[in-house]
Amino acid sequence: MTTLTDASARYRKSGSARTGLLHRVWQHRTDYAYVLPAIVVMLIVIAYPVYYTIELSFFKTPPGLQLREKSFIGLENYATILNSSVFWEVTWNTVVWTVASTFFAFLLGLVCALSLHREFIGRGILRAILLIPWVVSAVAASYVWRWIYHSDFGVLGALLVALGLATEPPNLIDNVDRVLPALIVVNVWREFSFAMIMLMAGLQTVPEQLLRAAQVDGANPWQRFWHVTFPHLKGVTTVTVLLLAVANFNGFIIPWIMTGGGPAGSSHIWITHIYELAFGRQRWGVAAAYSVLLFIIMMVLGVFYVRALNRSGRSREGA
Amino acid sequence: MSAQAGGLPTNLRVVAIAENKNIKFTLGRNTEMRKLPSFLRRLDRRRFLRVAAGSGLVVAQLMSSAAWAADADIDLSKWSPEYVKSIAGTAEFDTAAHCNEIVPLDYKGRLTFWYQRVSEADPEIAKEYYDKFFETFRATYPNIELEEQGLDYNVLLDKFRTALLGNAAPMAIRLLILGGIEFAAKGYLEPLKPEDVGYSTDKFWPGAMKAVTWKGVPYGIPTNNETMAFIWNADIFERAGLDPNHAPETWDDVVAYSKQIHDKLGIAGYGLVARQNAGNTPYRFMPQLWAYGGGVFDEADPNPTYGEIRLDSPESKRALQASYDMYVRDRSVPTAALTNTQSDNQAPFIAGQLGMVISHPSEYSKMIELAEKATGADKEVAEKVVANMRYGLIPAGPTGKRAVVFGGSNISILKPEYVEGGVVDTKAALAITCMWTSPEWSVKMAWAASNPGNLDGFRTKWFKQRLDEIKFLDVTTSMLPSGIPFPALPESPEIMNIIVPDMMQAALTGKMSVDEAADDAAKKVKDLMGGSL
Repeated sequence: MTTLTDASARYRKSGSARTGLLHRVWQHRTDYAYVLPAIVVMLIVIAYPVYYTIELSFFKTPPGLQLREKSFIGLENYATILNSSVFWEVTWNTVVWTVASTFFAFLLGLVCALSLHREFIGRGILRAILLIPWVVSAVAASYVWRWIYHSDFGVLGALLVALGLATEPPNLIDNVDRVLPALIVVNVWREFSFAMIMLMAGLQTVPEQLLRAAQVDGANPWQRFWHVTFPHLKGVTTVTVLLLAVANFNGFIIPWIMTGGGPAGSSHIWITHIYELAFGRQRWGVAAAYSVLLFIIMMVLGVFYVRALNRSGRSREGA
Repeated sequence: MSAQAGGLPTNLRVVAIAENKNIKFTLGRNTEMRKLPSFLRRLDRRRFLRVAAGSGLVVAQLMSSAAWAADADIDLSKWSPEYVKSIAGTAEFDTAAHCNEIVPLDYKGRLTFWYQRVSEADPEIAKEYYDKFFETFRATYPNIELEEQGLDYNVLLDKFRTALLGNAAPMAIRLLILGGIEFAAKGYLEPLKPEDVGYSTDKFWPGAMKAVTWKGVPYGIPTNNETMAFIWNADIFERAGLDPNHAPETWDDVVAYSKQIHDKLGIAGYGLVARQNAGNTPYRFMPQLWAYGGGVFDEADPNPTYGEIRLDSPESKRALQASYDMYVRDRSVPTAALTNTQSDNQAPFIAGQLGMVISHPSEYSKMIELAEKATGADKEVAEKVVANMRYGLIPAGPTGKRAVVFGGSNISILKPEYVEGGVVDTKAALAITCMWTSPEWSVKMAWAASNPGNLDGFRTKWFKQRLDEIKFLDVTTSMLPSGIPFPALPESPEIMNIIVPDMMQAALTGKMSVDEAADDAAKKVKDLMGGSL
């Protein structure tokens, strides 16, 4: 049973808590004033578009009418998406694209980082060369790869035919089964440098003494990597994988420029499909609903990312 | 617009050369006196005729009313390569003087303007004329602050739609013919007709005007209109055992020729294009669809109502089957057709690795440029290809029906509420519209890839120059009267840029059978027209 005394005590407590919070804010008013412009800008350029996208996802936006003539339909856009066979096809493509691109980019980056961690002649030059894919414009790279893969006159096809490995150029990006793997290769080529840089930084934190001690104890290279090096890379690995996954989930440029989501929609991933729905077909409501779903996934990945960063920060502080 | 039998033609027009002044001008029912130079405005018709008669030149023309009318106006019923040649260079126009009557040349204002820029596939001369136009506009209207932005064909619609959503559109825009109705139907555009810039509506192709007219109101003025032609390499034809001097007569012949070229020479026969979200695809597939008797709706009929969906008709399926036969059965077209645009076909064509394509008259100029840039053995091959380029009419269907897309662009003016700042400088917008749609600039701006939207452009000296300089131009211009505009519906861009290419890709990749792909596309069009999500 709640007594008047209890309620008064709670009121006083919460009141004093509020006073304390306001007091602390007041004490740090200059700090808040410094970050206020950034917060305002973020509210305008991030919070409002997010709100508007969520709002739009509940409206029907007929392509023949202006957006202002939209009509409220509740969750119908979401139902349409989830009942559409295209949604599941595009989702599968997105999962394959994201998982495969992230995994192989990380793996290749790790191999390169480990190789470059040792001292050898020309290490700096090789490191610079391996960074090229990451610094090259994704748009330019996509056009170049389109010509490398070209089904009739591509460099790759010509090379394979010249080497006697194929009788005719392989059909990679004009084939529904091979187009996605072909695009993943391009994406991995472009992203592995990022993973390499991150992991090279991480490798600097592995204590040399531990590796030497393990070596003295008779650990072979694989054991030293698995039991000493890799555990120290756990934090940077999590961050790298999460950043790659987020980038790949939103990886628009390569599939759009190289194939436009084709042939027959076989290289459409969520982001290209959303773009086509919105700007090509003007289904703003459906596209907004897709975007909200994508946003939720991104937020989940974001939470993991922040947690990973915090863990990594705490471990550094502990060290 | 046709000449009247006997007596004076009702659309009285007199062509005269004023005394000692080498100015050619016209007077007629559609020509208002205020558009004439001031010294001529002072003349009434009687006095004017006296002056003209004094020159001794007009009298001769008045003696023969038939010849007089033929020389003075354009008769679309007589359209042929010979007719186009006969009218070229018969009239002169002073663009600045004309536009001064619409918007004074000293007008002070500001204009934001977007347009579909020339593409990489266009020859250099097209780019030069675009630069020259804006340079001339700035010189003609020095007090109009012009902010122009050239956008790629495949990007323009997307960007414009996005800008409209944010009320950040330009004051005026030159849109592709496919896009005008969409924006007019949504209420973004101001009504705009040729008369608003001093030209008569009957000076523009009826099909072009139809493509900018929504519910009886015109919302733009055509800048240029074109039809494409069938281009082939005579040397490849000869080596493949085909008649090098004749284009395939029907689309079935195209399938057969393509196979023969591929089987005998090991190269691609026909340059099929089936990329999604690219304007090139419908421009090449729709003539095929129409020739077989199919269509998206009844757009190929004389009086289309767009009430019946025909994508799943047996005729449409037969057209799709022809593409399937070339791509899947015979493998006689580029494998990259699903990702290719027409510009991707240029390299194999100049390299002698592709036998036939559908394209603009500018293709010839482009090939000359590519040949000039080639070196060594490549140059020899390229020059041989240029020498063997032939232009012909687009093939017909099984019943002899020949069709081609009536393409082009239009200028429209936006309503202020959709424009950045909420203000449209209408006079500045009319000034650029007047200049671009003038007989002079509608020729120059369409120099390589199209034709003047203003029919008077065909009568200018610049058009005569084009005929002299651009090989095969007469072939493409002669097809203009048989051009079919895309359906004048707001849904057309989605149908042509997405649904039709999707249908082709679904069939050509084997994801669906030809029947299934056509049925699926018809259902998509039905859903779209029904307003589904």
